[in-house]
Amino acid sequence: MSRSIEITIISSENLQENKKALKGNTFVTVQCDGNRDEMSTTKVDSEGGSYPSWNEKLVMDVPLHARFITIEVKCKTRGNSSSSIGMARIPVSDFIGGYVPENQLQFLSYRLWDNKVSRNGIVNISIRVKVSQNNYCSNSMSSAVNGVPVTGVPVAGNGSTRVVTGIPAAWLNYQRNI
Amino acid sequence: MGGCLSDTKGAKEAVGGGSQNQNQIATTSNSNDAVEFFYTSQGFQPLFTQVQLSLSACNLLDLDIASKSDPMVVVYAKKEGGKLEELGRTEVITNCLNPEWIHKITIAFQFEIVQPLVFLVYDIDTAYHGVATKTLKLKDQQFLGEASCTLSEIVTKPSRRLTLKLQSKRGNSSQRNLGAITIHAEETVAAKTAVEIIFRCSHLDNKDTFSKSDPFLRISRMVESGGSVPICKTEVIDNNLNPKWKPVCLNSQQFGSKDNPLVIECFDFNSSGNHVLIGKLQKSVAELEKLYQEKTGTNFVMPSTHHKQEKVLKGKLFVDQYCEKEQFSFIDYISSGFELNFMVAVDFTASNGNPQQSDSLHYIDVSGRLNSYQKAIMEVGEVIQFYDSDKRFPAWGFGGKIPGGTISHCFNLNGSPSSSEVVGVEGIMDAYAGALRSVSLSGPTLFGPVINMAAKMAAESLSSYNSTKYFVLLIITDGVVTDLQETINAIVKASDLPLSILIVGVGNANFTSMEVLDADNGRRLESSTGRVATRDIVQFVPITEVQSGHISAVQALLEELPDQFLTFMRSRDISPFPSHFPHSSS
Repeated sequence: MSRSIEITIISSENLQENKKALKGNTFVTVQCDGNRDEMSTTKVDSEGGSYPSWNEKLVMDVPLHARFITIEVKCKTRGNSSSSIGMARIPVSDFIGGYVPENQLQFLSYRLWDNKVSRNGIVNISIRVKVSQNNYCSNSMSSAVNGVPVTGVPVAGNGSTRVVTGIPAAWLNYQRNI
Repeated sequence: MGGCLSDTKGAKEAVGGGSQNQNQIATTSNSNDAVEFFYTSQGFQPLFTQVQLSLSACNLLDLDIASKSDPMVVVYAKKEGGKLEELGRTEVITNCLNPEWIHKITIAFQFEIVQPLVFLVYDIDTAYHGVATKTLKLKDQQFLGEASCTLSEIVTKPSRRLTLKLQSKRGNSSQRNLGAITIHAEETVAAKTAVEIIFRCSHLDNKDTFSKSDPFLRISRMVESGGSVPICKTEVIDNNLNPKWKPVCLNSQQFGSKDNPLVIECFDFNSSGNHVLIGKLQKSVAELEKLYQEKTGTNFVMPSTHHKQEKVLKGKLFVDQYCEKEQFSFIDYISSGFELNFMVAVDFTASNGNPQQSDSLHYIDVSGRLNSYQKAIMEVGEVIQFYDSDKRFPAWGFGGKIPGGTISHCFNLNGSPSSSEVVGVEGIMDAYAGALRSVSLSGPTLFGPVINMAAKMAAESLSSYNSTKYFVLLIITDGVVTDLQETINAIVKASDLPLSILIVGVGNANFTSMEVLDADNGRRLESSTGRVATRDIVQFVPITEVQSGHISAVQALLEELPDQFLTFMRSRDISPFPSHFPHSSS
């Protein structure tokens, strides 16, 4: 069993190599500790220098027993090789099972550490946990929002069998307009 | 934001362009509409307009030995009895005796009142560069001179510009020339549209001997009365003749109209302060948009001193990105049905002093005189009561020994086992007085449990599909935190939620650890597990005993909240509800 997550690698800040600002050609790999063979990779950013931005959405499966996902910022060197600039291990518990309801977009930032275990910049990501509707039925909310009775569709949840989570925001605005 | 250039201590940072990193979109509005809204609702409506002061100075004293002075201006309003109330501070300009500050000072111009202003110019010690200006202790800085006038003197000038000679303290008329300060006043206009532009240059002239130029751009707006006012500068890009800067965000208040000419100057940064002009040009926002569409560059020119002719340079300016955005203001959200929910937490730790003794911050005076906490609750309560939608506040205490003998770091202030809610400021005051009788002060001081409780409530609101709620946790404390990292961990964990934390400091303790939490110096908080705060959600407000030169409580409390609120809403693309949004139809 696994959950699928959408992870957007947004950007990185203040990357250095040998105590100098990095020139560029950076990319990011994402891996999950329970699933070593699956590795996602972003495109290479050549313009941002030590402040690269990728804004790339990756979808990956996180097995239920996984405890970390590992993000590594790498720099493309000559030929096909690359060197590691810094990495961050993100506890799965930071985005699953915390305060925030699942299926919410969460913006997270992490400190990167290089091979010599010293700090090297920050990586900014966003994560949305996709909950498959077969495994979970919707989490119950109140069936009225601001006094307006709501017909909802099961969208997300965490194990409850009751229905109705939410309705499209546009529809709600339409209601308010009336 | 984005202040990672510790080697140059702030001098190379971008100013006024709303430097954008990640999802942290700096609001570019200089005026604080939350404060304005508070005042108008109090009946000040037709009596004032917001005015923006731009400051520049010339021939300042040179107090630094090896380099030039690093000036900053602090603007005060002189109240009755000569008391000075701080209105704001400009940024620090390094190594400069003829500075033009970019940060504007906003002030409400009340027509029927004489509003005396005092301008104090300081030379900021190099050790403090890169430190948030509002936290600078002025007595540690060198005084360069002062000037005073009334606001109406500036506003009534046809050019709306007034130059004053700087004087030494107490009107001490030494014959020494201390230079002069020029104040330019403009009425602020509501600015909803903004443009985000990415500038790039190519083939800039090399101005450095041993390396390449270190270019940055400064953008100024031409004003009707002549001259120009700088509105933003970009960050410095080291050693590069083909630089591309981070996006610059300008709102219509900054650039005027789209056809208003802007002067764009490119300088080579020198740490001595003698930035060398690489080239300049004049373009309006509309012309910049055209450059973007046609994907063409425009040449810089170099003004020539003896001929009237300008020399056209090889260096070109390109616009790599241009987009217009509608920026909703804090008030647009609040008036369209978004709710602020305040929560209150009061410090019951022993560091406040025994409540039986008169020097305690928690001292209960039988004569009814308010203690420091009660004063803070009253002062702050007036503001939050105005902005809270239902006036019901969850209220907690922390660090006290509750009846039963256990020490709790988050107990209900009203003593009820089930509900923490109290109604109105009176409710907080009653619950506080009640808690003081039943709870004995203890320790240690941990903010974590209270912050976690608030975070949980904020997170719950996200699960309703139209999250229109934003939470503000108010922590009233004497500021001595036992475990700072524990607090930081809790704040980082809450940094992606619709939550802001206002820490109100009472008493005269050392608040340096509170200023660490308020990440105004651009350093983002980092938890012990390596997670970094998504955005700054903390603001620290010291309510010290009657102190001259203090910013009024309303202004101080609401200073960062609108920006923190807007950053959250914009990161999630949440707009105000159109049906409740009358301005959009025009």
